[in-house]
Amino acid sequence: MSRLSDADVRARNASAWLLPSGDERTNHRLRADMRRYDESDEVDVVVVGCGAGGGTLMQRLARTGASVVGLDAGPFWDPDADWVSDEAGSHRLYWTEPRVISGSDPVPLGSNNSGRGVGGSMIHYAGYTPRFHPSDFHTFSLDGVGADWPIAYQDLKPYYQAIEQELPVSGQSWPWGDPHDYPYSPQPLGGNGQMFVRGAHALGVTTKVGPVAIANGRFGNRPHCIYRGFCLQGCKVNAKASPLITHIPDALAHGAEIRPNCMVNRVVVDGRRRAIGVTYITGGVEHFQAARLVVVSGYSIETPRLLLLSGSKEFPDGLCNDHGQVGHYLMVQGAPQVAGRFDAEVRMYKAPPPEVSSEEFYETDPTKPYKRGFALQTVSPLPITYSEHVSAQGHWGEALREYMRDYNHWAVTGALCEFLPRYENAVTLAAETDRNGLPVANFSYSMCDNDRALEDAAQHTQEEILKAAGATETIAVKRYAHLVGGCRMAADATQGVVDADQRSFAVPNLYLVDGSVLPTQGSANPALTIMALAARCAERLAASRNQGAPAATRAGGGL
Amino acid sequence: MKDREVSSGLARRHPPVTPGGKGRFGDFDVLGQVSRWDLVTAGVVLARLDTDPQLSFFTAEEEPTVRALTDLLLGQHDEPRVPVVEMLDKRLLAGETDGWRYEDMPEDSDAWRRSLAALDDEARALHGERFSDLPPERQARIVQGVQDADEWHGFSAGHLWSLWTRYACSAFYSHPWTWNEIGFGGPAYPRGYKNMGVDRREGWERPEVDARDPVPWAERREEALRAHEERQDASPSEERDR
Ligand SMILES: Cc1cc2nc3c(=O)[nH]c(=O)nc-3n(C[C@H](O)[C@H](O)[C@H](O)COP(=O)(O)OP(=O)(O)OC[C@H]3O[C@@H](n4cnc5c(N)ncnc54)[C@H](O)[C@@H]3O)c2cc1C
Ligand code: SF4
Repeated sequence: MSRLSDADVRARNASAWLLPSGDERTNHRLRADMRRYDESDEVDVVVVGCGAGGGTLMQRLARTGASVVGLDAGPFWDPDADWVSDEAGSHRLYWTEPRVISGSDPVPLGSNNSGRGVGGSMIHYAGYTPRFHPSDFHTFSLDGVGADWPIAYQDLKPYYQAIEQELPVSGQSWPWGDPHDYPYSPQPLGGNGQMFVRGAHALGVTTKVGPVAIANGRFGNRPHCIYRGFCLQGCKVNAKASPLITHIPDALAHGAEIRPNCMVNRVVVDGRRRAIGVTYITGGVEHFQAARLVVVSGYSIETPRLLLLSGSKEFPDGLCNDHGQVGHYLMVQGAPQVAGRFDAEVRMYKAPPPEVSSEEFYETDPTKPYKRGFALQTVSPLPITYSEHVSAQGHWGEALREYMRDYNHWAVTGALCEFLPRYENAVTLAAETDRNGLPVANFSYSMCDNDRALEDAAQHTQEEILKAAGATETIAVKRYAHLVGGCRMAADATQGVVDADQRSFAVPNLYLVDGSVLPTQGSANPALTIMALAARCAERLAASRNQGAPAATRAGGGL
Repeated sequence: MKDREVSSGLARRHPPVTPGGKGRFGDFDVLGQVSRWDLVTAGVVLARLDTDPQLSFFTAEEEPTVRALTDLLLGQHDEPRVPVVEMLDKRLLAGETDGWRYEDMPEDSDAWRRSLAALDDEARALHGERFSDLPPERQARIVQGVQDADEWHGFSAGHLWSLWTRYACSAFYSHPWTWNEIGFGGPAYPRGYKNMGVDRREGWERPEVDARDPVPWAERREEALRAHEERQDASPSEERDR
């Protein structure tokens, strides 16, 4: 690729130019002037959740002239007033409504998993934006594990390129998967990135700087990164991409409406199995928004939960759950994290945590006893998160304090292991209810032997790399990252919830565009793939609209 | 963002405060940077220096137990202490959870109350006294017992340990005094960083100047682990006396 001129990107998506150019981060005028629909208006599309998938789709559809309303359970963030350059103070960015975790390997949620509010989890994601590899779309055919997608890498490639330009992504030329370049040159490295590169190169392991959704330079009215290291607390600078600044402004400029603080509690379906709108709770009162098309994009936990909450006479086991697929095959990447101690000062809190990656170990290696692989990245935890790493070693009291006093000497890397999709890893409804009286999600997770072997290998490789860089001691912790799946895309209704166009098999005018549709997860961070899929879905919806069938008679769910 | 910055004012003290007066960074004071922080962040961080001492969540009965427990977990044996109990109290009162709980655990607030009561039960059963009245070695051994157990007073011990340490560490390491102790630069907006990379510092960052330098890390680590163990080893004579 392919650095498009800024003018070309702007013609397609003007978000970065719709933000203020001075010291303010929010275009309050644009929000105040936002088009507002009446609840009694039957809009073309209602979108549940304005995160990675929902935010992208809204921008695309608003540009086709469709009337679009986006509902989000959380706030319409203003980085100036709402976010802080502080770990504990960023608590409100996370989804902290109650959830229950179970299984033999329960996965902690909250700060480590999902966000709330316009921009979704990308508000506090690290900012890594790698593509999936072509092999990720056919793991069952290639390796006999996981699943085959009903689409291939080539189907997604043009959308990967488009989103990489719109975020935009910076990084070195990418040698892995389908080799490609990035629109922006790589960022300079901090101490943590330097240590990772030093160790990897000593072992002959290739690393590349990036790919991160932080422009190396100004982009539109978005300023340059100031290397302050608080990417996981929300970027107060507007340097790190999230839909709040990359897609929502353009959606508003094209007539979309965002309704924040609206928790959707039901997708309403008529007796003919067609969606007619959604009900949502705001200010303690239930409302109904009528729509010709419903798109759900609430993250891998809330999307299945909402479908299960939307059961009816036609759908006694939950919406779209005729074949017991809703909530299942939820995946999480194993993310063993290793810290190495250096005599030199690393001060990993300086620079964005996402700096350098290696995908050398991504693909199945026939000489290994396990299938699929892992990616390696820098992570740079701030003090609270790092204290969890230390205390996971069993240290407390004086030992904890002494390790923490040594914070500036440690470098930390993390792996992303491709844990396999399994039917029993699932979201179900718990007996416990939330403040609206709705049953909360129970997420059960258990690992398989292949997962454990991968996790051990990824930990060992990181220990070797840090030692090769000169670390005198390493300490490791087993963690998880990135939930996807739960309403997967499949070739037929007995295998998944949505088809290759992300339309639900059961309800022709109901689409899912968040990470829940992923059938496999690769070892890549998922946000770019979720956005690319949403862009593709929107384009196909718009194309079916242009074919001109009148809405009522369209067999499919086109606009 | 000039108009949004605040002047450093009263927050700084000389010498800079660290918990228990321990630190490795001499006169490094993260609060010296307050004038370079944005107003919203400064408000949130400075409020931690002025935590309301009035407890509302923990009962008078629970207070000494939770103080003894968190002092042990965080090695806070000397003044000045980070007011961890006051911070937990506010958090539990507001119901500010991490957004999940283990299926086999009660709600966080309930788990705190029940586990504090269990510490007292255990202390009474073993030594006939409340947990907070025991000598520190005995307290530490009970706490170590929780870390080593699979099940403890009806709790999955690992899940309880996770709850205790998550709440305690996130309060403690959110406090500017601990940032002074560990040499962390604190909030960084709108100032940011200019000198990144191994062995590079901003003008206002400080190298370590701990009195024990140049004691290598390995020795400091061993010493800390020894001190930790010693806290749990009551001398045989003391054991006999009781
Ligand atoms: C700490 C952390 C670091 C991460 N780092 C990376 C990274 O470096 N790279 C990467 O690619 N990914 C990263 N991720 C993951 C990434 O952010 C998510 O995978 C991605 O944002 C998911 O997109 P989504 O569209 O599925 O959901 P989200 O982006 O989470 O959007 C869902 C939205 O739906 C709303 N919602 C949910 N339920 C309802 C309802 N019932 N009614 C109304 N609204 C609702 C929520 O408020 C939310 O705004 C990270 C995540 C975390 C937590
Ligand atoms: S390091 Fe850069 S991208 Fe990350 S939060 Fe700070 S300014 Fe934003």
